[in-house]
Amino acid sequence: MKRRSFFLVASGALTGAGCGHRRSAPFRTLSESEAATLEAWCDALIPSTDGTPGAKEARTSRYIDIQLTRRFRKFRPQYQQALAAIEKMTGGRFTEISVEERTVLLEKIEKGEGDKALWGPDGGREVFNLILQHTLQGFYGNPRHGGNHDYVSWRMLGIPVVPVRGRGVAYGA
Amino acid sequence: MKTVLAIAMAVALAGLLLAPATDYAYKAGGGEACARCHEIAPQVEAWMESSHREVRCEQCHHSGMLTNMRRVRDHWAGEVPAKPRMKHADVLAMTERCRSCHQQEYAQWRNGPHSVTFESLFLDKKHNSERILMDDCFRCHGMHFEGGIEDLVQPVNTEGPWELKRADLKNTPALPCLSCHSVHRTGQPLKGHVRKAGISWREEIARPSLALFDRRSLAPVALGDLPLPVVYEDERPVKMSPDQRQGLCYQCHAPLAGGQIKSGDDRTPMGVHEGLSCLACHDHHRGTTRTSCATCHPRLSNCGLDVETMDTTFANKESKHNIHWVKCADCHPKGVPPKRVSSSSPRLAP
Ligand code: HEC
Ligand code: HEC
Ligand code: HEC
Ligand code: HEC
Ligand code: HEC
Ligand code: HEC
Ligand code: HEC
Ligand code: HEC
Repeated sequence: MKRRSFFLVASGALTGAGCGHRRSAPFRTLSESEAATLEAWCDALIPSTDGTPGAKEARTSRYIDIQLTRRFRKFRPQYQQALAAIEKMTGGRFTEISVEERTVLLEKIEKGEGDKALWGPDGGREVFNLILQHTLQGFYGNPRHGGNHDYVSWRMLGIPVVPVRGRGVAYGA
Repeated sequence: MKTVLAIAMAVALAGLLLAPATDYAYKAGGGEACARCHEIAPQVEAWMESSHREVRCEQCHHSGMLTNMRRVRDHWAGEVPAKPRMKHADVLAMTERCRSCHQQEYAQWRNGPHSVTFESLFLDKKHNSERILMDDCFRCHGMHFEGGIEDLVQPVNTEGPWELKRADLKNTPALPCLSCHSVHRTGQPLKGHVRKAGISWREEIARPSLALFDRRSLAPVALGDLPLPVVYEDERPVKMSPDQRQGLCYQCHAPLAGGQIKSGDDRTPMGVHEGLSCLACHDHHRGTTRTSCATCHPRLSNCGLDVETMDTTFANKESKHNIHWVKCADCHPKGVPPKRVSSSSPRLAP
């Protein structure tokens, strides 16, 4: 091996190890396919319509992914199971079916009517509520936590990103 | 076999070189090198469109070997924050970087009100004994401080005596450049000649970097999202200049809830200057105003007053000479006299 190519390999290993070649940030805890499944799930919970943004625009799946490295760490197994289970129910096509079809499936889970072998004794009710709650947080919460991208939900509701608020308001007396 | 060995060695070498190499990647500075680190791709993309596109990353960002190793370590330890974010110390260090290119603005800011220090804001005996210290103080000054008010000052009560728990911040400015400017956003550089030829101060468009660092979302909020309030004189909505740049001033110099003029820190012009923008009189960084008077007066003056020397200073909000609120009737309670001097009168020199 020539010296030059040795360095090429070395630098390849370097960039490969240090940083990826991607432009858009990858997910941190979820695999690419898990992330896509989660996004489809969130999208069914808060769909985007013509005029109004939904979970997709707010990037709630990214919010959840980031929080799975921190506050939600303990929920990781539940997420992995649920995302695998919903894919099983659709033969791995959950991300391809329509919002309406996804909604029908999720309603089943919500009512605890999921296959107990896949979803556990409560038929998926608990994990459904967990993901719903996290999706709402990611949609309405402060962007500093990774969701509500560019304040989309606040804008939709007409809540100013930063109101004009003098000193005195918060001072009580 | 030989190749396998070589690759193994190369990988080992890569490990050894990793820190210096990332260091190099940052320093090499071309946005591309930095963009390889996916977390910062959005910043690189914004930078490529920004008015600072010709300025390299490390001309603003500290890029010491240790910092870069910290970045890599955090990265691998999975301790990457929700978004990459500068620390308070980084923000302060960057002020010096800005200074290296924008010396005039830096000097004006230094001599102006907004270079006010942590000490004079948070150890002010009068203020502290009247208003209890609280985290909300950081909304308008000290916004980059990491921690709550109890991490900065003690005791948190109205009795005192107060001291800074972080004595190192005593002389540190609480409104650094990055309180009002954000760099990673779309904007054309204004080349000097374009500016002189095309844009006079009157019709000046807002510079793209203007943004308030919002303590709540820990991110700069650009001018377009900083609202101009509706301010009332009793029931009447006061006529307001459409100059969007004031949105920045109103984040801090704001009226109280209800929006009554003169309430809180409000300075909305009313009376003879109603409808003027703060920035028609106040210059950007020094906060001074005198040089502005002559840009409109004497042409518009009725009274033959020398605007360069007239009394405008009244801390007392009820003063009849308060430059923000004075009305014709305040000086002419019996009605405005008939005009004697022509508007081109030399009495109003310069
Ligand atoms: C290496 C030199 C350099 C450094 C460092 C630098 N700038 Fe600039 N800055 C420029 C140049 C060049 C322009 C473009 C000039 C123009 O627009 O006419 C500019 C333009 C600006 C403008 C006007 C355009 C806009 O985007 O609003 C502002 C404000 C500004 N810089 C603020 C800053 C701040 C704040 C910092 C520190 C974080 C900084 N600059 C650091 C060189 C620099
Ligand atoms: C809404 C924004 C805002 C908040 C919140 C705020 N300030 Fe200020 N502060 C200002 C502005 C604007 C000025 C300048 C006022 C002026 O000179 O007209 C100022 C000035 C000051 C001064 C100089 C003296 C004075 O009163 O003008 C001190 C001291 C001070 N602030 C301390 C505090 C402390 C302590 C808190 C929290 C209890 C606080 N401020 C909360 C905006 C704010
Ligand atoms: C003119 C100065 C300047 C240049 C050049 C510059 N930055 Fe920045 N950078 C800033 C400032 C100021 C901030 C704070 C957020 C903002 O102003 O948008 C920042 C924020 C960031 C952040 C996010 C951290 C935070 O606190 O928001 C990253 C990451 C970043 N820059 C990377 C880069 C990279 C990579 C380059 C080169 C491609 C670069 N910057 C070029 C001034 C600069
Ligand atoms: C209290 C808010 C505030 C702070 C703090 C501040 N600036 Fe500015 N800066 C402004 C405003 C307002 C403008 C005018 C922008 C416009 O006209 O659109 C401005 C304009 C500028 C410009 C463009 C000037 C031009 O002629 O185009 C530069 C460069 C600049 N600031 C640099 C700095 C630097 C460097 C610092 C820190 C030393 C700083 N600013 C601190 C509010 C601020
Ligand atoms: C981030 C908050 C903030 C913003 C934005 C801001 N100011 Fe201020 N301003 C302050 C504070 C705090 C002080 C008080 C400094 C002191 O006590 O020395 C102050 C002081 C002043 C003063 C001098 C007050 C005095 O008592 O002498 C003037 C004039 C002023 N600001 C004008 C402006 C204008 C015009 C704008 C908009 C371009 C603006 N400020 C934007 C916080 C702000
Ligand atoms: C952007 C333009 C502008 C600037 C800058 C400006 N003024 Fe005026 N001023 C006006 C206008 C317009 C009137 C009202 C004239 C009328 O209603 O007939 C006025 C009226 C006045 C009056 C009322 C009496 C008279 O002479 O007409 C005084 C006093 C005054 N200005 C003082 C000042 C001083 C002092 C400054 C500098 C701090 C200043 N002005 C800056 C535009 C300006
Ligand atoms: C017509 C010109 C003019 C306009 C418009 C104007 N100011 Fe002023 N301002 C002045 C002058 C002149 C002073 C200095 C008063 C003195 O001390 O003599 C001043 C003083 C101040 C002060 C220092 C405290 C005080 O009242 O003495 C603050 C804060 C301030 N202005 C903020 C603002 C803000 C915020 C706006 C926009 C909402 C604004 N000003 C609009 C001319 C103006
Ligand atoms: C800060 C105080 C002040 C304000 C505000 C003021 N004036 Fe005057 N005005 C004077 C003084 C002082 C004189 C000269 C003494 C006199 O003739 O009463 C004067 C004189 C005049 C004159 C006679 C000028 C001449 O020909 O000699 C007219 C006309 C006039 N004012 C109109 C106005 C109008 C219109 C406004 C509101 C836009 C106004 N003034 C606001 C102080 C003021």
